Amino acid sequence: MQSKLSDIELIEQTLAGNQAAYADLVRRHQRFVFTLAMRFSKNREDAEEIAQDCFIKAYRSLASFQKQSKFSTWLYSIVYTTAMTFLRKKRVDTDSINDENTYIQLENHSSGLNNNMAETKSRSYYLNEAIGQLLPDDATIITLFYMGEQSLDEIGQTLGMEANTVKVKLFRARQRLKEKLEKNLKSEVKELI
Amino acid sequence: MNTIEERLWNYIDGACSDEERKAIDRLIEQDEAYRSKFEELLSFDKQLAKMEMDEPSMGFTYKVMENIRAEHAQQPLRARINPRIIKGIAGFFIVTILLLVVYMFWSAPMAPVNFSKHLTISLKMPEGFKLPEIKNYLGKPLLQGFFFVDVVLGLFLADTYLRKKRLSKQV
Repeated sequence: MQSKLSDIELIEQTLAGNQAAYADLVRRHQRFVFTLAMRFSKNREDAEEIAQDCFIKAYRSLASFQKQSKFSTWLYSIVYTTAMTFLRKKRVDTDSINDENTYIQLENHSSGLNNNMAETKSRSYYLNEAIGQLLPDDATIITLFYMGEQSLDEIGQTLGMEANTVKVKLFRARQRLKEKLEKNLKSEVKELI
Repeated sequence: MNTIEERLWNYIDGACSDEERKAIDRLIEQDEAYRSKFEELLSFDKQLAKMEMDEPSMGFTYKVMENIRAEHAQQPLRARINPRIIKGIAGFFIVTILLLVVYMFWSAPMAPVNFSKHLTISLKMPEGFKLPEIKNYLGKPLLQGFFFVDVVLGLFLADTYLRKKRLSKQV
């Protein structure tokens, strides 16, 4: 059962030496942190590793957290930098979505969808899958905005950008997402959106 | 110049000015194409807002806390003790040693001291200068004070160590 204390209260308890309070914070934010990590790693094992790493890093530097911003904003900035470092380490080519193999993959995926799979799977599934095909930056902005319930300013703080830049990037990310959905689902996209 | 879509997204996100919002309100009301685009984007926005988050494995929190606990346990003792306590103890001993040295010199004969046949040091105070009687200050109460501070510091260190040990076991 999760504690009803605020994030700040849990942080204060953690800093006073109560590690159980930090476990509550982890439980509260783990789903979103994991989802965000999934946007970068594309597989569950790596996403879990990234998410764990983020919570450990956050614990280590909890004393330096300035309580002027939300804990979630601070935590998501840790997730972003950790995930980017992970991508660099793994030498994942972030443009690989445009390479030949991916086209083949997408083609196969589309043909699978034509077999009325759209009826059996949820809309959320297709959206998540299309987001997974976006570049990490686009996927992160959409995830932070819709799932993290972050304002444009807060996303700016997390990604180290101006709010206006975030606004433009969000607009482009949504356009690209729509294109991916149209490509993946073809005529069924009208039913989805 | 913003495209229709961009303006509509700003409108949906609430990221446009009051004036612009009113203008878009009018356009949606009057222009069929505008209204249709707005409804399409709004529906897309609602679908995005309904997306479900991924779920990590069951033992995720446990694994994180295990890692934190393991890291904490691996930390060397010197890193866990507050450096100010160590500095305090060091300061206390330095002061004690200095006082003992002063006392030793004071207790030693001040008249010419023969260290060897060839080395003679004579300590003479200037006329009219009177050294304070340190013996008066180094009495039994002062020594008891030193021991008291020692015991308090020792207890404080033990308490800090035991408290940290108990907290790490709690998780």
